[in-house]
Amino acid sequence: MAARYFFRRALGAIFVLWLAATLAFVALKLTPGDPAQALLAASGATPAEIAERRAHLGLDDPLLLQYGRYLAELVRLDLGESWLHGRPVGRMIVEQLPSTLALALAATAVAVLLGLLLGLPAALRRGTWLDTLATSCAVIGLSTPTYWSGLLAILVFSLYLRWFPSAGQGSPAHLVLPAAVLGFAMSGAIARVVRAQVAEVLSANYVIAAHAKGLTPRRVLFVHILRNAMGPALAVTALQFGFMLSGAVVTESVFARRGLGKLVVQAIIWRDLPVVRGVMLVAAIAFVLTSLVSDLARGWLDPRLREEQQ
Amino acid sequence: MSARAVGRRRRRVRLVPAVAAAWLLLAGAMALLAPGLAPEGPMTADPARALLPPGAGSPLGTDFLGREVWVRLVWGARLTLTVGAVAAGLAVAIGLPLGLAAGSLGGWVDSLLMRLVDGLLAFPGLLLAMAVMAILGVGMESAAIAAGLAAAPAYARVARSVAHEVRIQPYLDAARAVGCSPWRIAIRHILPNAGPALVSFAGAQLGSILLMIGALNFLGLGDSPGSPEWGMMLADGRGYLRQAPWASLFPGLALTLTVLAVNLLGDAWE
Amino acid sequence: MAIRVRCVAVLPGLWHNSLWARGQLACAQKGGTSTKPMCAKSHNRFLVCLVLVAALLATLLAGCASRPTGQLRYGLTLAPSGIDPHVNASSELGIPLTSVYDTLIYLDPETGEFVPGLAERWEISGDGLAYTFYLKEGVKFHDGTAFDAEAVRFNLDRITSEALASQKARFMLGPYDRTEVVDDGTVRILLKQPYAPLMDSLSQVYLGMASPAAVQKWGADYQLHQVGTGPFVMAEYLPGDHLLLRPNPDYDWGPSVYRQRRARLAEIEFRFFTDAATRSPALESGEADVMGEIPPQDARRLESSTDLKVQVVPIPGVSLMFFLNMTRPPLDDLRVRQALLYGTDRKAIISTVFQDLSPLAYGPLAANTLGYDPAVQGYYPYDPEKAADLLAEAGWADSDGDGTLDKGGQRLVLDAVLMGWGSMPEASQLMASQWQALGVQVESRVVSYSEALQIAGEGMYHLIPFNLSGSDPDILRKFFHSTASFNWSRTNDAEMDGWLDEASRLTDRAQRVTLYGRVQHRVMEQALILPIRDYVNLNGVSSRVQDLRYDGQGWFPWLIDVGLAPAGK
Repeated sequence: MAARYFFRRALGAIFVLWLAATLAFVALKLTPGDPAQALLAASGATPAEIAERRAHLGLDDPLLLQYGRYLAELVRLDLGESWLHGRPVGRMIVEQLPSTLALALAATAVAVLLGLLLGLPAALRRGTWLDTLATSCAVIGLSTPTYWSGLLAILVFSLYLRWFPSAGQGSPAHLVLPAAVLGFAMSGAIARVVRAQVAEVLSANYVIAAHAKGLTPRRVLFVHILRNAMGPALAVTALQFGFMLSGAVVTESVFARRGLGKLVVQAIIWRDLPVVRGVMLVAAIAFVLTSLVSDLARGWLDPRLREEQQ
Repeated sequence: MSARAVGRRRRRVRLVPAVAAAWLLLAGAMALLAPGLAPEGPMTADPARALLPPGAGSPLGTDFLGREVWVRLVWGARLTLTVGAVAAGLAVAIGLPLGLAAGSLGGWVDSLLMRLVDGLLAFPGLLLAMAVMAILGVGMESAAIAAGLAAAPAYARVARSVAHEVRIQPYLDAARAVGCSPWRIAIRHILPNAGPALVSFAGAQLGSILLMIGALNFLGLGDSPGSPEWGMMLADGRGYLRQAPWASLFPGLALTLTVLAVNLLGDAWE
Repeated sequence: MAIRVRCVAVLPGLWHNSLWARGQLACAQKGGTSTKPMCAKSHNRFLVCLVLVAALLATLLAGCASRPTGQLRYGLTLAPSGIDPHVNASSELGIPLTSVYDTLIYLDPETGEFVPGLAERWEISGDGLAYTFYLKEGVKFHDGTAFDAEAVRFNLDRITSEALASQKARFMLGPYDRTEVVDDGTVRILLKQPYAPLMDSLSQVYLGMASPAAVQKWGADYQLHQVGTGPFVMAEYLPGDHLLLRPNPDYDWGPSVYRQRRARLAEIEFRFFTDAATRSPALESGEADVMGEIPPQDARRLESSTDLKVQVVPIPGVSLMFFLNMTRPPLDDLRVRQALLYGTDRKAIISTVFQDLSPLAYGPLAANTLGYDPAVQGYYPYDPEKAADLLAEAGWADSDGDGTLDKGGQRLVLDAVLMGWGSMPEASQLMASQWQALGVQVESRVVSYSEALQIAGEGMYHLIPFNLSGSDPDILRKFFHSTASFNWSRTNDAEMDGWLDEASRLTDRAQRVTLYGRVQHRVMEQALILPIRDYVNLNGVSSRVQDLRYDGQGWFPWLIDVGLAPAGK
């Protein structure tokens, strides 16, 4: 039943989220260093003041109670307070989210376009120079670090040609280079999957049958090939988007953009662990959500999947 | 395809892994021979020769402190490759037993371990490594451990898949019928059959581990300032991108070629 | 087998696909026949073209953002977590807020004298314990409430209250006792001991006068809605994003150091450019009209630009220097410390890392600070041979031929703890390279400020660099008094303590200068520090900006005077 498929998927998503949240809690507890200490280190507080702050932060309560409180706060979308700034982590993340989201969406668009551009011709013209060229581009995309391709892009398109700004944000022009660089890096995986899946589908019986029936190649492509090949392609795109946050961290650093990347790097340097945990959880939520959506979309696209027994 | 085309393709296909392997050997040689090739070390500065372009005076140019780029590349190879190998080794050392156990034993062990891995896989790799570094503190050792830990869950997944595939083979039913313990089956039957696939995935992971370590260094979370690690050289070169683009060009090229070579070899392995 | 395995891993059900999870490997099946249909690429091509055209259009449109006239865009370089001058210590907050608040007195950077501000005149009692200020009349806060002696008392009480946990302002008041309201227009500040730097403190934005009504109204959110008496009003503040200042229409009581009676600009927008790489691009593209802390190599390039200029502003205070931990071997040996000083080519560091845009530092105080003794310039010229001799004399030799000196089985390896700003990592790399030639190894790491404080507190370092701005030489007491929190050379010199304590109590300037001179010489004789450079703020300024001047602290502009010429094509 389709409903069961969707229900199972949603349940699985929630479970993974819970797991991720628990791991984040455990990791924070494992960290040496005392949040109260970190907060008051520079101010030169006395041991009594630090002990009082610990009690205030609830650090002396039994672990299970702290865990319960943590989960309850999470459900209310309360991610705690930054040790460094004292502001709610949730608010800090929300302030930086739009910038990163813009980059992620733009880069995904570029990645999908490039992935299709490279993967389709490669599959349709397998074994020719076009295939080799496209596959090479895909592998190069996979292998090139964004912190290098970004610098190259700045050098050529910003410093020499002066087409785009080299750093910062504020206009669509600022988004072009970062999105292109990040999208290129992400497109490799998508191109490979598109190529493989389209190639597989091309040799499938129903496609040969469709050709034999006399359908135009264009119709064959869109109605049969793409629809069947897009399932895994959608899956990998969702995954790539989920990992866009990783890529965004580096790209934001290269192009000096504000965003979650800068937030989390600063938090790590300053050992502001609640912020690190908050960003990690947001990343996990993004991954789980996009995977869920893509799974559901694939389920809708391909009814056979709904019948699968897990 | 014509026979000639097939032959051409076969030759072309064999050329690529050969070139890739050659580059990796070169990089490895640079790393090993660094003290002999460039005894002055990567930190020796000569301000009078700052920002020289590649040419007669200097093979790959100099950076803002007058340090030779090729010298730093060679010493950086040492760092990057060693740390990459250590991290990859760590990923295998953690992921392999976990995955094998899950795949070989099945049942609740399988479910438990894989659920745990699922939870970890929900976090993007680089972020997971960064979170580990937040706990361990910054530095090259932390970076190695962080990258290894971040890559381990994926490896566990693959190991589990492979082990599971082998486990459900009929000939192992015979072994079980005879009374072999699950562990014995795992080590004597599953591991050798799964071996090639596991090695190939480890190789493929090496590429992404190298990129991850470079990223950690680029972001300033890795080695100490002045370190010739390739990612760090890129970060240093950024401030002088206009005056000395070669200081960023060559380390990035070296890193890309290395990762590319690893990926191409991994592809060719199949 | 291998191929099968990968395809198996590509089963639906995302959580079971680790290969997908890393996005690396695709199910790459080889072989199979290709049917070679007609290429449907034209569809793709059309889509791609459409997207490209759309992107191009968007880019073109983006360039036409409109801008109100008379609006100055000022680039800030740090986004401090808090910008309440009574609470926070960052100097970045003072850049906008110096024009939002007035202070009781002002320091004239040209004469070095104090001139009336909110206080028309003042008297200092003979014993130096009572400062009486006679306040200007008719001064109002931006919220309409009147400025009077009671407001002054409220402000000082707030700053010194435990609840506020002030990080800087409180300490600037020294041995503060209490404030007395004599009458509406007269206020008396009482100290427990004489404290010479008090006047200097009262001239700084950290002791600016805030509206008691506003403080009480906004409570913990006050920093977002700050109210003073200054020539500009804080119109809007979004933390980490922007801050807007608009002119105060009633402003009428500016000090003599202000050349204008009223603000010339219609609006000032502050934006944050925390990454150094974004600063000069922002100036060149016109996104900012003024930008501080331009990296030296960019400044050199901007100097040759026609519509930009570089305004180099020297900052008084403690220069950028490395503190040598004299309690940790091998730096406990004076000869080793002196060898390091002789063995460093500081001129090379200035020209390579700082592009000769900073003056070389010779002692603990920057050359434009009150009390600077030029005689310190004689210490420690670059002499690598002398350095080598000193190290040999101290018993260090390279007995095992590994390039590093050793003594009694211990290698001469120094531990440097750096922070990421102010070009410290670059300078220390060059320094390490110079010392390598001597046989001294340096292991350095970059840490955050709070971690550096922690390490400094534990004493687990050999070298730690720092610089701090300040117009009063009492700043030396923060670093070289045996009980000081920033005593990073860990010196314990009772005689120097005595000089520092006495100089902070005396009100006679000449006497203070003599004592501080002695301190500077003692610091250099004992080789407690390795001075690198006097801090300068490299401001990139558009040529349309007029009359931009900075106050006695060097960091803070007097925005009331600033004008903006209309944009020409």
